[in-house]
Amino acid sequence: MSGWLVEFFQIVFALALAPGLVGLIRWIKARLQSRLGAPPWQPYRELGKLFHKEAVVSKNASWIFRFAPYAVSASTLAIAFLVPVLVVPRRLDMVGDLFVVVYLLLLGTFWLALAGLDPGSAFGGMGSSREVTVAALAEPTTATAIFSLALGAGSTNLGAIVVAALNDPWTVLTPGHLLAFAALFIVTIAETGRLPVDNPSTHLELTMIHEAMILEYSGRYLALLEWASWLKLFVFLSLLANLFFPWGIATTLTPGALSWAIVTLLVKLALLAVVIAVMETRVAKLRLFRVPELLTASFVLALLAITSSFLLR
Amino acid sequence: MNSLFSQLAVLGSSLTLIFGLMLLWHRSVHAYTTAFAWQSVVLAGIVAVVAYFERDPELYFVAAMLLWLKAWFIPRLLRRMEEPLRAEQELQPYVNTATSLLISGLLVLFAYAVCRPLVALSRLPTRAGMPLALGLIFVSLFVIASRKKALTQVIGFLMLENGIALLAVLGTYGIPLVVEIGVFLDLLLGFMVMQLFVYRIHETFESIDVEQLGRLRH
Repeated sequence: MSGWLVEFFQIVFALALAPGLVGLIRWIKARLQSRLGAPPWQPYRELGKLFHKEAVVSKNASWIFRFAPYAVSASTLAIAFLVPVLVVPRRLDMVGDLFVVVYLLLLGTFWLALAGLDPGSAFGGMGSSREVTVAALAEPTTATAIFSLALGAGSTNLGAIVVAALNDPWTVLTPGHLLAFAALFIVTIAETGRLPVDNPSTHLELTMIHEAMILEYSGRYLALLEWASWLKLFVFLSLLANLFFPWGIATTLTPGALSWAIVTLLVKLALLAVVIAVMETRVAKLRLFRVPELLTASFVLALLAITSSFLLR
Repeated sequence: MNSLFSQLAVLGSSLTLIFGLMLLWHRSVHAYTTAFAWQSVVLAGIVAVVAYFERDPELYFVAAMLLWLKAWFIPRLLRRMEEPLRAEQELQPYVNTATSLLISGLLVLFAYAVCRPLVALSRLPTRAGMPLALGLIFVSLFVIASRKKALTQVIGFLMLENGIALLAVLGTYGIPLVVEIGVFLDLLLGFMVMQLFVYRIHETFESIDVEQLGRLRH
């Protein structure tokens, strides 16, 4: 029974923390650029504001436009259920493994791309076409990179991979792990629309991707989509943190282990937030035509990761 | 203890390979020089690790030589060469970036396939890094063959030399010191001759595109 309670707590934890994580990244970025910046809890206020506003829908839009925000947030929420955040092994481990996670990700992308096309605005169509290009190149890398870890652990189950890494800490230094980390980091940036690939802080650029697709949305629909994209970032970062640096994650359901797991997860996420903020301050956005090159590089890294973990077993 | 040794060797070899792959992704000569310098630092680190675990004081000397020559002296010369050639970028190589990355991934797979019997025969703790070293050699050869600018080819050659040195260290724990010093001298001389050539090419054609050399036939 307490196992299910923890599962429930974990999802509430992820939902509640996701806006804070994005706010933290924005705040660190602002400080690095010597701006005062909005406080880290600003995204919560944005959500509150958006949920109270009226949703304006174009009269050209079909049911797809209204349904898409629910589909996108439901698929992201399902991913959040399947990814180990605080505890391993989990009750929900039997429900899905990394393949389910990858396909749920694609499902969300699919609905978002449809919703961008639906109202017939020029920006939405451009955004959808770019998003699909990026997703088609990033998705195989995600699967390959995690699969190279799965080869080492002997299971495609995300929880089992984390347990295997906990049992044998030296595996974290193997080239398979390091290359997979580099590949998955690039994919995280591409999938969550961070800086070298997409600029998250503006919707005034012709080369925007994510913002172009959700340009037509307002009110609670926009709130749902924003929340889903923040949750996606949270899920990807905690996946990176737990797959590659699993120490601190709880293996028993005692309150002590759980609170220690929460503290270590917060520290790991804060570190990753600092890394992303520093990187976003240092690099400029890539030209759109160079994005496939970046993703090819990450795919080659994942390919080398899987080769070395297959041959060095 | 031995497992730590082999982990470090494989880790270092994969890092050198990644620095080699950077040549294919970046376009400015400045980034190439940085990648080469860091690759040489990692190579010197691997030599020092081998020296520590095998208790071979000669190898420390080799590592120090590597650090001085390849991580400091040659990059410094390269930086000096960059100045007049600032506008020269690898904009249109013979093979485009995405394809060359995929090809180099296949080359590394090929290196793994070629090395299988070698790795199976070897009893050294460093054997797992040998395919990566061979992969670096293949990738550097590919860089030399597929890039147009003379300076890129020079750096590809230097990385090829790094790959050979890495293979030698991983496979045999280093060659005799006299030979090593001879190799360093050769490398330095070879590099200086190439530097001279790059200058001459730049002076004659006002570009370091080696395709221009085709005009010499007429």
